[in-house]
Amino acid sequence: MPRLDRLPEANRKNLLNLPMQANDSAPFTRLAKPLTACRLAIVTTAGLHRRGDTPFGPGEQTYRVIPADTPAADIVQSHTSLGFDRTAIMRDVNISYPIDRLRELVDRRALGGLAPNGYSFMGAQRELTKIANETGPEVAGRLRADGADAVLLTPT
Amino acid sequence: MLARALEAHGIATTSISLVREHTDKVKPPRALFVPFPFGHALGRPNAPDLQHRVLRAALDLLTEPAGPVLRDFPDDAEPGDQPPAPRQASVIPVASNAAGDAVAEVRDLREGHAQRLAKHGGRTAFGLSGVDVARFDDVVPFLQRFAESGDAELAGRPAVALPAFVRWCADDLKALAFESFMAMRPEAGGDEVARWFWSTTAAGQLLRRVRDRLDASDDPAWKAAAFGVAR
Repeated sequence: MPRLDRLPEANRKNLLNLPMQANDSAPFTRLAKPLTACRLAIVTTAGLHRRGDTPFGPGEQTYRVIPADTPAADIVQSHTSLGFDRTAIMRDVNISYPIDRLRELVDRRALGGLAPNGYSFMGAQRELTKIANETGPEVAGRLRADGADAVLLTPT
Repeated sequence: MLARALEAHGIATTSISLVREHTDKVKPPRALFVPFPFGHALGRPNAPDLQHRVLRAALDLLTEPAGPVLRDFPDDAEPGDQPPAPRQASVIPVASNAAGDAVAEVRDLREGHAQRLAKHGGRTAFGLSGVDVARFDDVVPFLQRFAESGDAELAGRPAVALPAFVRWCADDLKALAFESFMAMRPEAGGDEVARWFWSTTAAGQLLRRVRDRLDASDDPAWKAAAFGVAR
């Protein structure tokens, strides 16, 4: 799950009817070094940001910066959708933004390090033109400037 | 889609996917499909071992030499029933003995929430409205006035559009209530919390009225805010 066959009929239809770009191939960047030497950043579409940042509005195609040293307790979610169980992230922000787990991987030297910033977008979007053409590429530029070697993308 | 935009600009990505059918269509460069419910991308809250297994499987994809790659996280990695998605307010009836006084109730909620914070390392979903938790004794009457007339103000509130502020106050009120319930019942699933909130609390009834007031407007910004308050 959500394995679609386990969802209620209405939710399943709704999901399958969402307008979705269909592609045959994908742009691909090979990882230049082993993970143990890579600096990783999280980019999430869970509508997360630091407490005190302006919350996301519905359909907003901009992003928020979450510095990698932000304590997990300072990260909140302003996602519009009520279609998911919020109690999971109330219990543990790592369920969508695994910052503590990544820090553990760095401590264990399984990962080279964390890039200085994570980036967050709003999820459950239908109109994505601005993200595809503007704010997405802008975040790619910032990640490169940050020295990020790779990105983990997480949903809510 | 975002993965493709980043990858096209030279950043290697790996994505966690919750809807296999969508991912198969959009084709991000590398994706791990996980068999978990929405809101549970890394598996289960406070389950670091499972979260590490998911993370490892996602990060391993980064070393793939070519793509697109869509791999399945093993279905049997997390045996047992998945928590059901919480029911929406519209299908939860208000109980005949539901609380009536939202102002008195919010004081109890604040107390329960403070207990939860103390036990939970200060972690909370509260904090979207920009209004201090102690002022929620004023926020509840503000929401009541808004529900009555569609026009209300709260002295000293952040300078944002009224429907957005109402929506974030509603989110914070829900966070106070949900987390105070979880202080009493730490193992409660999302559906149990939703049923408690929408059927028995005065806050739940107030937010239904706030939702109706927002939704009655022709302004799309008001309707969008209504959608985030209750459905």
